[in-house]
Order: sequence, then C-alpha cells, then structure tokens
Amino acid sequence: MSRLPWWVGGILMAGLLLMTFSVFGADRPLGASTYVPYFAGLVFDLDPKKYIYLEHIKNPGAWEGVMLLGALFGGFVTSVFITKSFRFSLIPTGWKKYKNNSVLSRLLWSFVAGFIMIIGARMAGGCTSGHFMSGMSQMAISSMIFGTVVMIALVITGRFFYNVKDK
Amino acid sequence: MDIIVKTAGDDFASRMAQMFETVIHEGHGSLVLVFLIGVIFGGIIQYTRVDKFEKIAGFAMLKDTIVPKMLFLTVGLASIGLYFMVEAGYAHYHIKPIMWSGLIIGGTLFGIAMAIFGKCPGTGPVSIAEGRIDVLVGAIGGLFGGLVFTLYYSDFFKPLMGDSAGKLTLPSFFPGHEHLVVLIFGIVVTIIAFVIPKREFFDEADLEKLPPEERPDLKEVH
Repeated sequence: MSRLPWWVGGILMAGLLLMTFSVFGADRPLGASTYVPYFAGLVFDLDPKKYIYLEHIKNPGAWEGVMLLGALFGGFVTSVFITKSFRFSLIPTGWKKYKNNSVLSRLLWSFVAGFIMIIGARMAGGCTSGHFMSGMSQMAISSMIFGTVVMIALVITGRFFYNVKDK
Repeated sequence: MDIIVKTAGDDFASRMAQMFETVIHEGHGSLVLVFLIGVIFGGIIQYTRVDKFEKIAGFAMLKDTIVPKMLFLTVGLASIGLYFMVEAGYAHYHIKPIMWSGLIIGGTLFGIAMAIFGKCPGTGPVSIAEGRIDVLVGAIGGLFGGLVFTLYYSDFFKPLMGDSAGKLTLPSFFPGHEHLVVLIFGIVVTIIAFVIPKREFFDEADLEKLPPEERPDLKEVH
C-alpha cells in the first residue's frame, strides 16, 4: 500500500490533534507557521531583545521549531521506507501540465509564494494547521473567517493562475 | 547526573540549543513528545500524500478534493472529541482573536500563495524531506517573509492587522445549548467531508514507480 486513504488520514490527524491538545500531551494547539519567523530570527541573527515580535513568539516558535524537526524526520522516513516516493525534483508534474516547463519559473514563483505565504500566515495568526485544523476544531470564529477567505482566494487563484481550461 | 550545556551565546548553534532549552522548560510536553508529535504529523501527511503539489494546487484548480475531505473530517471528529475533553478538564481551548483586517488580508495572501506554491507551512517541510528542491527554494522565500514580518512588525504589520474583536467561538452564541451546537457542528462538518465529491489528480512520476496492482488511478473508483 503506497498511501493511506483520506479518511484514515483524517482520523489519525484528529487523534494527533487531540493528543496535542490534551493535558497529557502538549496542552496546546498544533501549529506550523510560527517556526518560520523564529528560524528567520536564528538564520539572520536578529536580536530577540530588539524585536518585539521575536519576544512574542519565543515559546511557540521554539515548540514548533522542534516539531518541525520531527516532521522533517517523519516525512523523510515515511517517503523512503513506506511510500517509497523519495526523489529529488525541481518541478512538479502538475506544474508542467497546467503552467509551464520552465524550472526557473517554478523556482521563482515558489520563492515569491513562500514569501507571501508567511507574511499572510503571520498576519492572520495561523495557517492550515493552526487556524484551519486546530482553530476550527475549537469552533473559533476567527478560524472560520480565515478558512473561508483562504478557500475563496485559493480557488480564484487556481482558476486564473493555471491554464485549467486547455486540458 | 546532570548534563550541562552552555547555551548563553548568540551564535546559531547556541540559539538552536536555546530552542531545545525553551521547549524543555515551557511545560508543553517533553522534548521527546514534541519531536514525536512532529514525526507523526510528518508521517501522516507523507503517507496520505496531501503534501503533493497535485493535491493542494490541484484543489485550487478543483481537480482534486482529497485535501478538503481530509481537513473537514479532521475538524469534524476533533471538534467533538476536544469539546468533551475540555469539559472533563483534560484539555484547554486556545482561541485565536478575531482581527478582521489581519484575517482577511492575511487569509487572501495565504490562499493566493497556497495555490501557486501548492504547499502550506505544515506540508512544505514534508515535501522538502522527500526531495522537492522547488519547495526548499520556497521555504527560503518563507524565511525572508518571516524576516520582513519581524523587522516591520511594530511599524507596519501590527497596525495593519487591527485590534482584536474578541476570542469568540460558535457555541458562545448559543448559551445553554453548547453541547447541541458542538454535536451539530461536528456531525455537519464530518458529513461535509464525505459529501464533497472525490476527485483525484495523480502525479505520473509517482505512479510510474508503482506496480500496476498498487496504482490508485487504475483501481476501480468507489
């Protein structure tokens, strides 16, 4: 079996969320975008005392930083030993089919999109994990607003950015 | 025996060590547990293949619906479970505030970027771990995004995000009927997960590596 069905994934992810929230686990939500400015602070050697945002995210950033190392490890092991999908690639098949064959175009757009994505996630205070999964599981209104806005922007962009009609 | 690590410096290695130290003293699970949560998180994402460009950008093109189906199922099940765990004192809510302009501008930027990148901050690292160089380049872009956000947080981003309009939840609008609201929400969201029509957009490059009997695209569609 090269992959899990979506419903098994959903059940497992709900279990992981509950374990993370539980007082026997981490007693906090599962998030995955605060680590990025945290690592930016480390990589660009920013003084945490000088930048109030780094002071804000000192604890959640560190928590997610360690979790991210785990995710890299878990993703690597699963891709090598279970799904056997590990391979180096520069351009996704779907990009070639619906956008273009240019590696440079894919890399440039990836860089730009990665940049915008983190600004957006930090402005909204969360991402797919922190807002959509953790936030909506708490029935937070803020997360429902975020989820709705993201879905609309996602589908509109998908419609106009790619040559969906051609094929 | 205590192991003493000097972490007082401000070089990269010391600050990495400080990261572990922060987690150890933070009281949100042991270092091993936090790492393990990450391993399981990465494992689930990799094993279900929802980190793939074809799944996320594919959803943006409405050619694949695995990501929303899995997300909605997770939320539906976890919302009911979490509510009763909170009631029993086994968990706490950590609600994010409603900051209208932050949520709308941030959500719009995030959605646009997610469609183009075909990743999000949780699935991106998993893709890097399976060898996607383009995602690594995107992550470097993300680091610069984090840098810009940190540098201009006080002067630009914080005023732009606006003030908090409170940390509201859906059940708080129906005082006295919280249990019912939670059950209805959880069940409706779970039903949505199953009702969304299943569409799949496969990556030929992955399919080629599988024997024919394991190829999901050749299996009968249920």
